[in-house]
Amino acid sequence: MSKNFSVVGQSLPRADARIKAVGAAQYADDIILPGMLYGKLLRSPVAHARILNIDVSQAKKLPGVKCVITGDDTLKIKFGNWRLVPESQDEYPLAVDKVRFIGDEVAAVAAIDKDIAEEALSLIKVEYEELPGVFSVEEAMAEGAPVIHELNPNNISLQRKIDYGDLDKAFAECDLILDNEFKVHAVSHAYMEPCACVAEYDHNGRLTVWTSTQTPYFVQCLLAKTLGMRENDIRVIKPFVGGGFGGKMELRKWEFCAAFMARQTGRPVKFTLTRAEELATGRRRHPMSIRSKVGFKKDGTLVAKEFTAYLDGGAYNSMGPTAAFLCGNFGGMLYRYPNYRYNGYHVYTNKPPAGAMRGFGAPQALFVAETQMNMAAEQLGIDPLDIRLKNAMETGDEIPGVATISSCGFKESLLKVAEMTNWREKRRQLGKGKGIGIGCYSFISGGVFNWFNTQYNFTRAEVRAFDDGTVHLLTMASDIGQGCDTVLRQILAEELGLKMEDIRLTAADTAVTPQADLGTWGSRVTLMAGNAVRKAAQEIKDQLYKVVSLKFDLNVIHDLDCRDGMVFAKNRPDRGIPFGEAVRLAQRANRGEPIIGYGSYTPRGKGLVTPAFSFGAQVAEVTVDMETGAITVDEMNTAHDCGTPINPMSVEGQLEGSVHMGLGYALCEQFIMKGGKTLTATFLDYKIPCAEDMPPGKSVHVETYEPDGPFGAKEAGEGLVSPTAPAIADAVYHATGYRCTELPITPEKILRGLGKL
Amino acid sequence: MSLPKFSYLAPDTLEEACRLLAAHQGKIKIKAGGTDLLVRMSARAFKPDYVLALGKVAGLDHITFDPRTGLRLGAMAKLADVVDHPAVREHYPMLARAAKATATVQIRNMGTVMGNICNASPSADNIPTLMVREASVIALAATGEREIPLAEFFLGPGKTALQPTEIATEIRVPVPEAGSGVSYQKISPRSKVDIAAVNVAAFLLLDGERRCRQARLCLGAVGPTPLRAPRTEDFLVGKELRPEVLEEAGELAAGEATPISDVRASKEYRRLMVAILTKRALVEAHNQALHH
Repeated sequence: MSKNFSVVGQSLPRADARIKAVGAAQYADDIILPGMLYGKLLRSPVAHARILNIDVSQAKKLPGVKCVITGDDTLKIKFGNWRLVPESQDEYPLAVDKVRFIGDEVAAVAAIDKDIAEEALSLIKVEYEELPGVFSVEEAMAEGAPVIHELNPNNISLQRKIDYGDLDKAFAECDLILDNEFKVHAVSHAYMEPCACVAEYDHNGRLTVWTSTQTPYFVQCLLAKTLGMRENDIRVIKPFVGGGFGGKMELRKWEFCAAFMARQTGRPVKFTLTRAEELATGRRRHPMSIRSKVGFKKDGTLVAKEFTAYLDGGAYNSMGPTAAFLCGNFGGMLYRYPNYRYNGYHVYTNKPPAGAMRGFGAPQALFVAETQMNMAAEQLGIDPLDIRLKNAMETGDEIPGVATISSCGFKESLLKVAEMTNWREKRRQLGKGKGIGIGCYSFISGGVFNWFNTQYNFTRAEVRAFDDGTVHLLTMASDIGQGCDTVLRQILAEELGLKMEDIRLTAADTAVTPQADLGTWGSRVTLMAGNAVRKAAQEIKDQLYKVVSLKFDLNVIHDLDCRDGMVFAKNRPDRGIPFGEAVRLAQRANRGEPIIGYGSYTPRGKGLVTPAFSFGAQVAEVTVDMETGAITVDEMNTAHDCGTPINPMSVEGQLEGSVHMGLGYALCEQFIMKGGKTLTATFLDYKIPCAEDMPPGKSVHVETYEPDGPFGAKEAGEGLVSPTAPAIADAVYHATGYRCTELPITPEKILRGLGKL
Repeated sequence: MSLPKFSYLAPDTLEEACRLLAAHQGKIKIKAGGTDLLVRMSARAFKPDYVLALGKVAGLDHITFDPRTGLRLGAMAKLADVVDHPAVREHYPMLARAAKATATVQIRNMGTVMGNICNASPSADNIPTLMVREASVIALAATGEREIPLAEFFLGPGKTALQPTEIATEIRVPVPEAGSGVSYQKISPRSKVDIAAVNVAAFLLLDGERRCRQARLCLGAVGPTPLRAPRTEDFLVGKELRPEVLEEAGELAAGEATPISDVRASKEYRRLMVAILTKRALVEAHNQALHH
């Protein structure tokens, strides 16, 4: 392992910093095309109903309206990301026969302006036969509950299991068994850019869609399926995207409707969602009802765990099947659980569907797991830090049948964060309104799973080299604000010895960039696309090394390198030429053929979950007003292992964002609903922490070297959304004696818990 | 959602403004900072044909203090300017605190104290302190002007005593009496930048023996309008602020509140917070009074 990097490990400014700072970055909603129409969706006002009739005649007559469609106009093809299990694909592009939540898309309008489109919606008459609805997993699973999808008469759309060891025997040998129930709630991605897309249909019968997405390839494939078109006739382009967090990784109804109506009218069609639509109907993190039974020896050794989660999936599967699996996976991570059983049930309810969201099952599982570690520590009279150190996973550990931990800095993270926060002393001394608490996490660096059932490699890169010393990197990896356009350039610059400005980048355009890339989710991009870029660079180097060897008549034993713009013999740096010169010679030597390198990456031999796991520990310090229950998070400190941080400044940004999102999850963000109706559909009442609420805190990278990561890198930032809630909950317990088992932790719950209300 | 269509009227004088208001009665909304109005129009809560903007009327953004007549805030005086005004900070520090507790920096740079009052939200940050200071609003119509005590100004959520032909042009706040003090207390679920789940303002005028000569309380977000608490106020008169008096005042105030449960808090929590915040407000007002 060489740590002598020149570009990797540098806190370089983002490639997109300037264009965003000056306001010149074009997002999907900024795109205006000649003759463009504006689309709007008619959404169901009822939570569960049969559609008896839809009358669009008045809407069609409104001057300025160019297209009105309902489910009947479409091919009525169901779709979903889980192509591997076709029966899991449970959504139509527009409602057919039934609506299943308030906000379910029923019809769409395209008109010459937004106001007319809006007015046209009010002219569409839909006759509903209302059906009783279910709004919690408990209601949905009750005997005789209304059935939401005919295929699943018990409203359980799927079950995921993990099972290893001998649970019954193990529990019999435990000195302490905790058996607790928990409830965790839904929260919104609340990305800064509400979803938008523009679709254009050309005279050759081909479609171009600019859309705010994390997964252009998924959109391309699922549009082809639902529109009855060929994949290659559809071009999906990702413009600048203002955040996704898992909320933009499926084909969405408005993408379909824009494409469909563009084809129908011959005019471009744009959809832009309002924030109210996003909050009231958008994807969200799964609420869950969880029961967790965990057993320890007297000395704190973990022996067994039985973990059961009921995921409130809302009206459709969305990414629920993956969340259901990952929740169980993370329930058994972080510590050595020799005996573990997980049962996860994905349950339909008449609520907006939950989907993928930062952490993807981990925040729920780890809130429960970390809270129980803290409960057990107390009952066994062990410091929460020590019970963790005793059970922590280490490099080389195996999760039976799932994965091997190829690098792990968990113990180092625990010790580091304890040192940073003066943990032991504060844990002993604080109390009476002041508390300190701990939470930890592990996360994946991309998934091994192929539920999308792609026939391509998971990611691919193409690098073209030029004799002026520049290269062009083409990749379908999607920068949605997380910074992969910068990080992939850094990886390529390191590999080829070039400067950042020497690299031109074209990304995320399905007609131009190499097939395929599964998109930005599950913290997969740095590791997977990074490895593909390295391999493509290697192909370039192989071609250049030949001509440099020839030019200097190098002994075959010489190693060559690319660095500082030169290609040279490592031990004889004088025997080298500039990168561009090497490209020119290589082209001449090959009768004009361009110098191109390709690289692909698909995890192989990496088990069932991920090529690499990251780890970390976080400590929260809080003050609780014992009269009002108001919580102030005074400090939030983190130590984590993300392998080699390719761009430490970017990692810092991810961590701060994680704390912000974790804070909202822990304390104040929630969808308050009544009979399927969202009562907190504006930022006035859907309370995201503001800048002033952000606690100070430091973060330290515990560096490990991940053998499967590019230059040793792995996941950073997504996993860290998990420890914040359990750390704050533990600090609140330490401060007040109130132990939260039902998020979010509100002032009212604290006062009720303490018997003051 | 985009704004509905409307005509934008921006007169240069109050006379012209009054004329336009009278001419378009019932179809017109007055805009000061616009931070509440435009959001509500976008949400289609209001669909006025006309918006009467006061921004071009000269001399409406004044903030003046006279030791004999007190403080005057023009209808266009921005929240941020009230926060920073030296006379407000010196003589009415709780008005500045309340203005600063309103929304965010961006909103405070646009929004006005008058707008916050005329919006007549039960949770408005700027009403309680003005109410306990016995402020009044000047209402101007083409036919003349009148002064409406704030105590008579609020009729219900979003409803004020203003006639459809009247423009609220100025807030008048009496001179702070020697030996008086005010406090503003607020609690909201998100802590630092948020709408109040409950707010309380207290005013105390002490006598030479540190007994309450006068007491006024205003409870916000626990009724259809910001509420005075007359029974608690009467109870306090003539008393020294001992712990048991504070306790009882808190309980009395909680009893005078008429909270409901909504997404921001349950009624039980609100009632308890009225008690807690009342006690805190009384203690702070007491300290302010001792130092005034």
